[in-house]
Amino acid sequence: MKSKKTGVIFFPAFDWAISPTHPEREERLLYTRDQIFEEGLMDLPQIAEYPPKLATIHDIARVHFCVPRVQSQVTEAHLIAAGATLSLGDSIIQGEIKNGFSIVRPPGHHAMRVVHGNRGFCNINNEAVLVDYLRRQYGIRRVAIVDSDVHHGDGTQEIFYHDPDVLFISFHQDGRTIFPGTGFAHELGGPQAYATTINIPLPPGMTDNTFHYITDNLVLPLINDFKPDFIINSAGQDNHYTDPLGSMKFTARGYAEFTRKLNPHLAVLEGGYAIETALPYINMSILMALAGIDYSNVREPDIDSFNFKENPDRFAQVQKTVEGLLDIWSRRDKTDIEKIFGTGKFYQRKKQIYYDTDYIEEEQFEKVRLCGSCPGYMIIESRADRGYGQTARVFALSIPFNACQECHTEAYDLYEEAVKNKKGFDFVKMQDKSTDTCLSYDINKGQEWKSEGPRPGV
Amino acid sequence: MYIGLDVGGTYTDAVLLEKGQVKSWTKVPTREDLLNSLLEAFDAIMRGVPPDLIERVVLSTTMITNLIAEKKYDPVGLILLPGPGLNHSHYRFDTESCLVGGVIDYRGREVVPVPKGDIDSSIRTLAGLKYKKVAVVGKFSSRNNKHEKEVCRRIQESHIDWQVEMGHEVAGQLNFPRRVMSTLLNCATRDKYQFFVQSVLVALNSRDINCPVYILKADGGTMPLKSSLSSPVETIFSGPAASILGVQALIPPGETAVIVDIGGTTTDLALILGGQPLLASKGADVFGHMTHINALAVKSVPVGGDSVVESVGKELILLSERVGPPYCMGGPMPTPTDALKVLGLTKLGDMKKAREAMKILGDPLGIETWEVAARIMMLVNDTITSEIKNMFEKWEQEPAYRVWEVLQKKKVRPNTVVGVGGAASGFMTMIAATLDCYPVIPPYARVANAIGAAVARPTLQVSLRADTEQGIYTLLEEGYQGPIEDKSFNEDKALQLAEKWLLKRATKYGLENDIGEVEVTRREVFNMVRDWVTSGKLIDVSVQTKRGILHYIGTGGGNIEK
Ligand SMILES: [Zn+2]
Ligand SMILES: [Zn+2]
Ligand SMILES: [Zn+2]
Repeated sequence: MKSKKTGVIFFPAFDWAISPTHPEREERLLYTRDQIFEEGLMDLPQIAEYPPKLATIHDIARVHFCVPRVQSQVTEAHLIAAGATLSLGDSIIQGEIKNGFSIVRPPGHHAMRVVHGNRGFCNINNEAVLVDYLRRQYGIRRVAIVDSDVHHGDGTQEIFYHDPDVLFISFHQDGRTIFPGTGFAHELGGPQAYATTINIPLPPGMTDNTFHYITDNLVLPLINDFKPDFIINSAGQDNHYTDPLGSMKFTARGYAEFTRKLNPHLAVLEGGYAIETALPYINMSILMALAGIDYSNVREPDIDSFNFKENPDRFAQVQKTVEGLLDIWSRRDKTDIEKIFGTGKFYQRKKQIYYDTDYIEEEQFEKVRLCGSCPGYMIIESRADRGYGQTARVFALSIPFNACQECHTEAYDLYEEAVKNKKGFDFVKMQDKSTDTCLSYDINKGQEWKSEGPRPGV
Repeated sequence: MYIGLDVGGTYTDAVLLEKGQVKSWTKVPTREDLLNSLLEAFDAIMRGVPPDLIERVVLSTTMITNLIAEKKYDPVGLILLPGPGLNHSHYRFDTESCLVGGVIDYRGREVVPVPKGDIDSSIRTLAGLKYKKVAVVGKFSSRNNKHEKEVCRRIQESHIDWQVEMGHEVAGQLNFPRRVMSTLLNCATRDKYQFFVQSVLVALNSRDINCPVYILKADGGTMPLKSSLSSPVETIFSGPAASILGVQALIPPGETAVIVDIGGTTTDLALILGGQPLLASKGADVFGHMTHINALAVKSVPVGGDSVVESVGKELILLSERVGPPYCMGGPMPTPTDALKVLGLTKLGDMKKAREAMKILGDPLGIETWEVAARIMMLVNDTITSEIKNMFEKWEQEPAYRVWEVLQKKKVRPNTVVGVGGAASGFMTMIAATLDCYPVIPPYARVANAIGAAVARPTLQVSLRADTEQGIYTLLEEGYQGPIEDKSFNEDKALQLAEKWLLKRATKYGLENDIGEVEVTRREVFNMVRDWVTSGKLIDVSVQTKRGILHYIGTGGGNIEK
């Protein structure tokens, strides 16, 4: 067998912060750098370090409707963090490396399809940018994303909620006790993608025992059934027993074992704010697990003095959730979708989104075309209130990569109509993943921007 | 006047420079009797020059390099404090390695003290195996040297005759395995290096040369010969560094160039970017051992004038080994030098024999002599130029950890190819054409190394790391640790402190008059925030004396060759 390396892009962004004392600041990966470098991991023959590259504006536009434009929502640091995942994705698909770890800042799993500002320290969803890139560039279809951050990966969930070819699994601290307040077991995906979104909310205080229970009994069996072409781990590290934001009791060892079992193509760092007591050890463990290096000698300095008792009642509660989800998963093809979601040409839902970092309130109206021959295009009407009476109103259309001709034509007609009517909106946007074309029309300026990606394989 | 002296494995080269001109130069064989070779070289270049006119002497040498390559050094036992992390089986070096408990973390905090019993049993093991040289290296010892010092003190209590080397004094950079290797090599070569230094001092003394004497380091800087005794490994690869500086001195300032040094069996490639030699981003790889030694980036390609050429099927191939001199010089096998001869690109060797070599290869394939020669040229050219392209690509591929670093990455390509070394001139036109560059064979290319030594500048660096939360600062190069008493310690004060230490170091090395302009090469401040308030700062600053060379060399001056 060809022995292949684990690729790593380490981009600590030592010159970028949300604000000087914000958890997402320059210092965040400093001690991780110290630990990984002092261990000499980058010198090991099993590991290859790559430099980060910048993602293009188009790579972002393919996924996000940024308001007013991509350039106004991203800094260079975001393009580098997203670009790192793309460049590792390239190396994995091209067979240069067997898997990869993108140890980058800033994170992205709270960023949704429409971006009015920063949510939960995220602007750009690095994993989603990769998925759409892999689909366009290499024709990858089925992807599984497993989110092991303590916070619900609500951005990733939202972006793929109606995509039957992306299995999104997130386990996290119960939304009633932590940001962003979502991620309940009943959030299972839209009518066109039922049960490809799976959430396991966890009561606070759970340990590695629960971590492994979920992995062995839910995550791995589902992935086994789903047969993805590519597996991504949103490797948030705030489930650690020392994390200041989360209340879980996972360890570095637990993360390493999880990584070994999941065996993802790519792990992408998400949250994790115990920058001294957790990150150096977890990042090192994940990297070692991916590279097939023995991680049993990595241990947190205070691990012996910590109480890792788990409440058995709470564990029983998790078991019940997992059993319920397994039941839903096993019956997913026989489920009466119309009974749950209703009938009609469109399925629609209304959403309230709060941007905690930027204090923006967004109201969204999301419609999916219930098409029999493809996942259907989406219509999103979004209105964001930035305070001081400033609002931005957006009408956006998203055509999936595998859209049928009918959906394609309908969506373009709607775009034309909205541009012509010029009423009620400031921006009309189109994201056509089937031809890799993005359009953005500024009603007030009467101007259209268009961007097209490179032809696949070029 | 300056003397540059390069003591190589085969030849010892010397030049005498006066006001940027080569006044005389020589090349003499390096013999077993080092002292006499040195004297011969001095006498050749010094003819008629009074010794008191010599202002400085700079040496470069492959001595340490060769010692390590041939493993001609004394055994060194290791006492390691690896703590948690990689499985300890990763730390089996090619010698007795005793592992000792005790843990220091990335901030230099002691997590677990060193168990006394561990130290004693390691000492017993090494004593039992008759080791007299010991390297003591701990993980994160450059952040806190307490554990290494404890082990060292314990050894000295019972074995005063042992030569003990501590990791934090040899290599302050992060990377524990590299620190182990650097410390081990330093410990292993110290005695032999002392002998070399003694020979040089005796030779100079007997010719009444009493000026300051320096030795070139792998990174292209120099240090006073006497103070180099404690860090012999820094002189490893000073030979290649000397050639690169020599070329830098011989080409116009500001040039971006590739240096192609084609020898008998290897070709060394190096880059000069915008007039400055490229430093390797990681420590030098010393014959498969990764170290912390700062070195100019040199890529060795296993091809040279004496490489063997063979025909395999319908193809000609280059083998990396040497079996003797070229065919045209009485050797057994056809070589690239024979091809050069046939094409009239070298004066060396016998034309009839060279043609014969081409026939040996050409006849079975049914191709003409000149075509065989042309194909060999192409093979050598392809091998070298593709490595040059790789080198530039690799340089572009180097990691970056800051936004600005990623943004300023750009494609750079050379405009000049500089040939040095025996076989370079014959290949240079072709290599330059392939890379779309100008070919240059500088004057005095044959003694570029000695010229490089002569023009090298003394360099000193101080890297200071301050942790204001813990109230400690450390000096990477010195292995020193001191308290910060100033409550308002900040970046500017860190820089002042670093400059103070730079002066202190300079004085220690007798270089206080050479400091000149001080460059700040790194200044990084991280605010430590705990519970949303700033609890301290981590400040990393590096200051160094100006890099570069003392002179660019004009032409003129005579030579004396033995
Ligand atoms: Zn999660
Ligand atoms: Zn999180
Ligand atoms: Zn359709």
